[in-house]
Amino acid sequence: MLCTGCDQFPIKGLIETSFLDWKERLSSVIFLGGCNFRCPFCHNKELVLEHATMEDMPVEYLIATLRKYKNWIDSVVVSGGEPTINMSLFGLIGQLKSEGMHVKLDTNGSNPSILKGLVNDGLIDCVAMDVKGPLDRYSRWCGINVDTRRIRESIEFIMEGAIDYEFRMTVVPFLHQEDDVYEVASFIKDAKKFFIQEFRPDSTLNPAYAKMQPFSSDKMTRIRTNVAEIMTRDEGVCETSMRKYGAVREKTDPVMQGESLIG
Amino acid sequence: METTDLNLFVRTSEESILNWDRSKISDALIRETLIDRDTANELSKEVEQQIRKSGIQVITAPLIRELVNARLIEKGLESTRKMHTRLGMPLYDVDSLILHPNKENANVPHGPEATNLTLAEGIKKEYALLSVFSQEVGDAHMNGDIHLHDLGFIDRPYCSGQSLEYIKKFGLDLPHSLSMAKPAKHPEVLLAHLVKFAAALQSHFAGAIGWDAINIFFAPYIEGMSDADVRQLAQMLIFEFSQQAVARGGQAIFTDINIYWEIPKHFVDVPAIGPGGTYTGKTYGEYEKAAQRFAWSLFEVFKEGDGAGRPFFFPKPIVHITEKFFHTDGYMDFLNLICDVAADKGNTYYVFDRGETAKISECCRLSFKLDEQDLLDAKEPWKMRYCALQNVSLNLPRIAYMAKKDDTKLLNLITERFLLTVKAHKEKRAFMEKLLSLGENGPLALLTMNRDGSPYLRFNHASHLVGMVGLNEMIQIHTGEEMHESKKALKFGIRVIAHMNLLTEKIRRQEKMKIVLEQTPAESTSYRFARLDLRYFSPESGRVVKGDIASGEVYYTNSTHLNVKYAMNPIERVTTEGLFHPLIEAGSISHIWLGEAQPSKEAIADFVIKTFKYTTSDQIAFSPEFTTCNKCHRTSRGLADTCSFCGSADVDGITRITGYFTKVSSWNKGKLGELKDRYRNIDYFSTSEKRKVANE
Repeated sequence: MLCTGCDQFPIKGLIETSFLDWKERLSSVIFLGGCNFRCPFCHNKELVLEHATMEDMPVEYLIATLRKYKNWIDSVVVSGGEPTINMSLFGLIGQLKSEGMHVKLDTNGSNPSILKGLVNDGLIDCVAMDVKGPLDRYSRWCGINVDTRRIRESIEFIMEGAIDYEFRMTVVPFLHQEDDVYEVASFIKDAKKFFIQEFRPDSTLNPAYAKMQPFSSDKMTRIRTNVAEIMTRDEGVCETSMRKYGAVREKTDPVMQGESLIG
Repeated sequence: METTDLNLFVRTSEESILNWDRSKISDALIRETLIDRDTANELSKEVEQQIRKSGIQVITAPLIRELVNARLIEKGLESTRKMHTRLGMPLYDVDSLILHPNKENANVPHGPEATNLTLAEGIKKEYALLSVFSQEVGDAHMNGDIHLHDLGFIDRPYCSGQSLEYIKKFGLDLPHSLSMAKPAKHPEVLLAHLVKFAAALQSHFAGAIGWDAINIFFAPYIEGMSDADVRQLAQMLIFEFSQQAVARGGQAIFTDINIYWEIPKHFVDVPAIGPGGTYTGKTYGEYEKAAQRFAWSLFEVFKEGDGAGRPFFFPKPIVHITEKFFHTDGYMDFLNLICDVAADKGNTYYVFDRGETAKISECCRLSFKLDEQDLLDAKEPWKMRYCALQNVSLNLPRIAYMAKKDDTKLLNLITERFLLTVKAHKEKRAFMEKLLSLGENGPLALLTMNRDGSPYLRFNHASHLVGMVGLNEMIQIHTGEEMHESKKALKFGIRVIAHMNLLTEKIRRQEKMKIVLEQTPAESTSYRFARLDLRYFSPESGRVVKGDIASGEVYYTNSTHLNVKYAMNPIERVTTEGLFHPLIEAGSISHIWLGEAQPSKEAIADFVIKTFKYTTSDQIAFSPEFTTCNKCHRTSRGLADTCSFCGSADVDGITRITGYFTKVSSWNKGKLGELKDRYRNIDYFSTSEKRKVANE
């Protein structure tokens, strides 16, 4: 596993004001370089593949920017890449906490022990975990061989609810079948929040995905509606565009069946 | 030569063909101008000879008139020619008008009614420039130094703030109407009165019809109604206004509804008028809950959108955020609801009334701040009727081209142009006074009706607007930097607006006229000025105008806004643009373009609260974009070429143009250029999944 030094913060990007990354509030988002996954549909491929050549933002600059907006923003989302592969994460979040910030961590759940450490030390207030697909075929979704016991451990730990949390899944045509989404939903059906995110073709880690058509709005609506029915608590499952009508599950969908084209 | 010699027929404007009669020429000249009889006679003879020589068989009256005019020019009788002018339009123009849509105002649809409106506007515009305004003012408008807005509506005031109390108290009793309705007893009837009155007002004003505190004034009718009925009433109100696209020129009535969560201080102790136009015995302060129920229902309807899930274009809901708002029960729930509407549909306008400020907002951003006298009037709210008589905008970049980087010259030129707008206002005011003095038998009978001891249009309360276009480009030309590029440039921008603000105060005292600054919406003016400056101030202007010169999609940045293309943190944008707002008394706005992104409502609510607390911004609105399908009648987020549901290419883009939502296909070229440039805050509003690293 990749691991950068403890004295150095690989901050590769900063968004001072985000209206979306922490749904309940305005937040700033920082991006840390490096990732242990190779999800073919990843949109931050530079952060994954080329982070070593990207310049680090000095932490002093980050802190100065946060102070500049401290009237407006008291929350920071730590995103990536995968933040938990950096040993310096504790030190960085520690600095954020001493600035009086609420901190949310975006993670892929591959490092449960680090996650537990952060929670137990009171360093993070909220965690958002990406679940890439059903656990039995995880390497297919994330592009590397992964010990799914760690993923499971993270999910179970998060769902104990020590801190606020949400799960997210990006639904990708060809890669995922509709049923994969429902399998994930069933697995975490007691979770407080599960957001279905739409895949958007852009510059993806695997260039073949950049040309792929995203699912139609109808299909996304259907998926979200069905997921909402699977979840035992239905708060916030499908963001705001969920509609209650027309939610008939189609099992034989030609697009879904073309799954083996890429992968 | 004798007239009978001439075997000539004349097609007249009275749709008949007459035999030639030379004396008609001299008669017309004597009737319409100050010319002497002998010269008139001589002229008519000359023209007759000219026509005779040409051997023509049938001639039109307009052509004869122009021949006479040509003679008048030859004789140097310029003022006589002016009085003898014929207003009209070339065949080619009328033909293309009837066939092609008008893009000057995106709120005018394409149809026979719309063509009528445009034709009438064309003539009235010429009339205004020839006959209402002095040569100096007319020329300044024609060459683009200033812009006289809505010249085609020269015989109406510009826009207005209205009170529902007037129809609640007096019923619908309009001059020359076929029937008179007593004050409404039921909420549905009050609604019907409101919509009809708004339509009647639309045909007497050029611009927006704004309604103050609509949910509060409806409250006495709402008490005791079931939730379902209140919801139904809200739905009726919004659909009635949004589907009224059958009135003047096939336009929807440009309507704003002001909504309060709290009962503002100036209405708390005011006796409430209820069904039948009688006092209910309670004050509006006691109707807070009913007013809130109605406000809530209205926003639930906005959230749902129309039958195709599109945002409603009208009425525009304006919510006042005040100190008291934050001390009123349930404000956070309501704020979340209106922010949900803002994120999802974009309708919500947030107006910030800090401290003791109270105001009525309407039009694209115009607001009427209430002074002491107005707050006394608030005790009898039907008196709260306001209007702006006219809006004139300065072409600021033009002044900078001419000032050649000399500060004194620049500010002096602003003063000169400003005085010219004051002159234009005086001329319009005099003309309106003339029309209104004809009373209930005149063309503006509705505005002179007197039911409460003063005419409906309270002329002494009328204000005059001075707007500005392209401050950003002015500063760019003058200092070499746009306002977002350096503190120095921004400071100079503020200095310019402060100077204009000072001028309004001086003029107000000197001329006893309410002259106020407003951020001009400039839907087509920013395009017009840019085009004219490309013509007259090339090559300098080519480096400055925004948009794409090759495609002709050029514009100047609206009013005092910062460059719309520049990627700017929304906090910085509302804070920086907000610096100008306290200097612009009659209303300002900052736009936050969302594109396809859908931010969370809680984050927007957070942003709104902090905008109120930490900035001097007057008003903000969040603008998403939509694609609506004409085939499957569904609507999706973002501007796309095809429908994301059915794949059809028969789609319309929808987003906010200046102060209202409309179909992108109806936009003028300048605004299309701006739309392409708009920085949509993708980095700030999209999930991290969708965007790249910010400083990549």
